[in-house]
Amino acid sequence: MTAGAAEQLSGAALELSDLNVKYGAKVHAVRNACLTVEAGQVVALIGETGSGKSSLALAAAGLLPSSATITGRVMIAGQDVSAMDRPGFRRVRASLLGCIAQDAMAALNPVVPVGRQIAELFTQHARMSRQQAAEAAVAALAQVEIRQPAAVARLYPHQLSGGMRQRVMIAMAVALSPPLIIADEPTTALDVSTQAEILALIGELREGMRSGFLWITHDMGVVAELADWAAVMYAGRIVEQAPVQQIFDAPAHPYTQGLLQTRRDLRSGAAGTPLFQILGAPPAPGDEPAGCPFSPRCPRATDVCAESDPPLEPVAAGHRAACHHPGPSGAPGETPAPAAAAPAAEGEGS
Amino acid sequence: MARALIRRLVFGIIAVAGVVVLAFLLEFVVPGDPAKAIAPRAQSAAVLANIRTQLHLNQPLIVQFADYFGNLLRGNLGTSYIQRQPVASLIGPRLLTTGVLALAGVIAEVIIGGALGIAATLYGRVRALVSAINLTLLAVPVFVLGLLLLLLFGFRLGIAPVTGGTGPGQLVLPALTLGLIGAPWYAQIVADQMQESLASSYVRTAVSKGLSDSYILRRHVLRNVLSPALTMVGLDLGSYLSGVVTVEVVFIWPGIGLLAVNSLHNLDRPVVMGTVIVGAVAVVFFNLFADVLRMFVDPRTREEA
Repeated sequence: MTAGAAEQLSGAALELSDLNVKYGAKVHAVRNACLTVEAGQVVALIGETGSGKSSLALAAAGLLPSSATITGRVMIAGQDVSAMDRPGFRRVRASLLGCIAQDAMAALNPVVPVGRQIAELFTQHARMSRQQAAEAAVAALAQVEIRQPAAVARLYPHQLSGGMRQRVMIAMAVALSPPLIIADEPTTALDVSTQAEILALIGELREGMRSGFLWITHDMGVVAELADWAAVMYAGRIVEQAPVQQIFDAPAHPYTQGLLQTRRDLRSGAAGTPLFQILGAPPAPGDEPAGCPFSPRCPRATDVCAESDPPLEPVAAGHRAACHHPGPSGAPGETPAPAAAAPAAEGEGS
Repeated sequence: MARALIRRLVFGIIAVAGVVVLAFLLEFVVPGDPAKAIAPRAQSAAVLANIRTQLHLNQPLIVQFADYFGNLLRGNLGTSYIQRQPVASLIGPRLLTTGVLALAGVIAEVIIGGALGIAATLYGRVRALVSAINLTLLAVPVFVLGLLLLLLFGFRLGIAPVTGGTGPGQLVLPALTLGLIGAPWYAQIVADQMQESLASSYVRTAVSKGLSDSYILRRHVLRNVLSPALTMVGLDLGSYLSGVVTVEVVFIWPGIGLLAVNSLHNLDRPVVMGTVIVGAVAVVFFNLFADVLRMFVDPRTREEA
């Protein structure tokens, strides 16, 4: 009993082991994913559309439709939620995790005042009366720095600005102070200045709580600003994970290097220089090549890459990559100048 | 919001006025001489001419219309040719009778249709059955269904009265007929809206908040189904009040519809006109009523339009 309680307290916010998500027989959206989010940490999950990052997050949140097959273990704050049945998970889920959706307009019920949408968390999970819950909802709105929270609580989603709606979503996610918060590209739909405000708010909220964040994004700028750790996904696999500084300073996987190169080019923005891009397109789900899924696009690909799918292995302390030829860019067999590298790589590959 | 309602009210009044003109003209297209209907055995032309003079039937159409419209504006619907009573006092009680039937019918179709729609959405196994029921009900003519119910419950099982009247017992079968005929529309609208709502992002949010299925259904899904269903309730109440002729005839329910049919037979023009006008006003009023109700259940409609 005591051991169980201690385990609960000491457990990581989220621990995924060997998570697999399949849709039907062919589409393998997430493959053998292992990922840990420690309490108080922000882990960024980076990837393109279709890389499986949303499937991974939804699987962790238990929000995938029943048509998806999920295997592997999901532990939230020391509790094995993958072993719970649906009603069992439902009862505890609000106290274990909060979710922040990308499109707050769609994620809030259009015909229910936002205050009540927060308050129902308290009436259903904290055994508060309607009156108490309404007051707690106003307090939650105040916590996310909404001015005149009592008045805003009575408004409907369509009466709020995009930034306000996202604040409401955040208030909802943190209302019960869950150990894990899963945010699915929460700033993508916002304009740049609102985006900055929301990021600042999350930064402040983090200070006061022990929650771990799983932050899904394709924006490397957000990663740099907010995250402690980063995990990069490609074709359903986590291909690299490391502390954020390590990812930016010494990315080991050629795909990560490509992502960062694109960003660097955007930043330096010298007019006339062509933007670096990773040639080709990610494999369609269910139609992946044999071996490493990145190999057809990879400047370092060799015969072994076409034959076996590399596992995620340590390349440095706390830094793992799934690559047969990990290492800094400019390694042997690779032309360092990216603009020239692309056509050369194609020639080499054949 | 108030402005939108006033605009709709104005359009409604114009619509009613249009209906009055059309109905008045139609009266004169219907062949037959009201004087003969009033005094069927009067052989003498002088008697008939006398009647026509009394009723101003010998005056030009435009004068008759001006007279009628003037009276109407003063709230006077005229006097029945046959029953020698003010039309308003004939229609008043009938309106109440039809109102009871219309309300019971709408309640029945909302319950039956709502149950069918919810069942079809939540239980995949009954979906095919529900669409079969819907199709059957859509295909059956009202009077056939009415007569079948009368035959089954009235004559065969003997649990429903077969004589006409306005008692609560006599209300059951006609209300059920209206309910069954209207149910498929509600079933469809409820199922469509529920499916849309269940697939929505806000329901996923509700699930992520650990709310129970029944709570989500009540507080998040059905609230979003309410608005389109209410619009249809408004339309139905209006059109039923303007006369559920077939049902009233089959079940001898002494409402507006029955009055309209009998008056048409008798060429009792003032009464026919009265029923048409009351029906038009009912349609306009209940559409407006539905709009107001929708503003309460769907905050988005308060700012639109």
